[in-house]
Amino acid sequence: MVEYLAHEQDSYQQGNAGCDGLPLRGRGTSSLSTQRPAPGDHLVDFELPDHHGNRRRLSELVGGDPAILQFYRGFWCPKDQAHFRGLVQLQDSVEVAYTRMISVSVDPPEVEAAFRAGVGARWTFLSDASRELQVQLGLLETTDTVHRPYIPTVLTLFPNLRIHSAYNGYWFWGRPTNAELAADLRAITRAIRADWDPPER
Amino acid sequence: MTTPAFRADGAQLGFLATWLVGAGRKPVGALGIDARAIDPHGEPAWISLALAPERMRVLFDDPGVCQAMRMVLAGSPVDVISTLVRDPSTIGGALTATHAPTPDALADDPFARIFPRTLLRIDGGFVGTMPTPAGPGVQRYAGAPWPWDHF
Repeated sequence: MVEYLAHEQDSYQQGNAGCDGLPLRGRGTSSLSTQRPAPGDHLVDFELPDHHGNRRRLSELVGGDPAILQFYRGFWCPKDQAHFRGLVQLQDSVEVAYTRMISVSVDPPEVEAAFRAGVGARWTFLSDASRELQVQLGLLETTDTVHRPYIPTVLTLFPNLRIHSAYNGYWFWGRPTNAELAADLRAITRAIRADWDPPER
Repeated sequence: MTTPAFRADGAQLGFLATWLVGAGRKPVGALGIDARAIDPHGEPAWISLALAPERMRVLFDDPGVCQAMRMVLAGSPVDVISTLVRDPSTIGGALTATHAPTPDALADDPFARIFPRTLLRIDGGFVGTMPTPAGPGVQRYAGAPWPWDHF
């Protein structure tokens, strides 16, 4: 579990973290939001259009399984591109493990559909183009005034939408490795599957 | 429920029939389907019915079957997709459907690459509209037809 970084470091350091390549010095930065999702919280059961434009509810996508919920900046971010390459590798395990993956950005559905196809993802992408959820969750990356993207964030969820772990990926190394995600999913699965220990008969 | 099934040229090929039955009570020779695929109030539809030949037993875990599921998840959405369960471990085929006026959306049915498929036109009152599979799962839940998405 990773605590969210306060964005009160000097602007030079923030310049290294941002993804748009623009100098960040002098940009306004917000104070640490207390609304951001944290381990133990129950995430709001939001509804957003998927990458094909169909309205999808989070609880429907999670079903009764452990889930990885990823908020990302956009296709244009090299850090997101690198992160997605790792997640697509993890997908080969997730697809056989009764586990869900969901990605959310502020891009419109058609942009997400193209990015999803380009990276080879087979999970559902959700579009928060209106940014209502972004505001509600306190995940606006205020240092990028060009794209106003999500703060890269990864949550691992129990089926009831309770947050197991929260990773702040504002700096790339804050993002979970596939090994860390696997450890989270193992813990969640162990907690929710009554037959984690195989029945004796 | 029963509905006549027609070829694209209008000739009747036969009937499609479904039963809502409890676990383990599937009629002999019938194939299991995701119940969400069936809707007595559904619109007319085109169906791509890919069926494994009677003599052929293909495991759900066959790499070809898994890859067809991956292609469904990666491709454009359709109104209905359900694999067909012959028995707890073998696949009987897949039913894919669209309510569009033309069958264009069914042209690249991934399951048609592993099983012979027939393109059918049916009237309203048989197939419904399912949510797109969440992905990326390609495993079935306790032997249920994929993409039935929970235990």
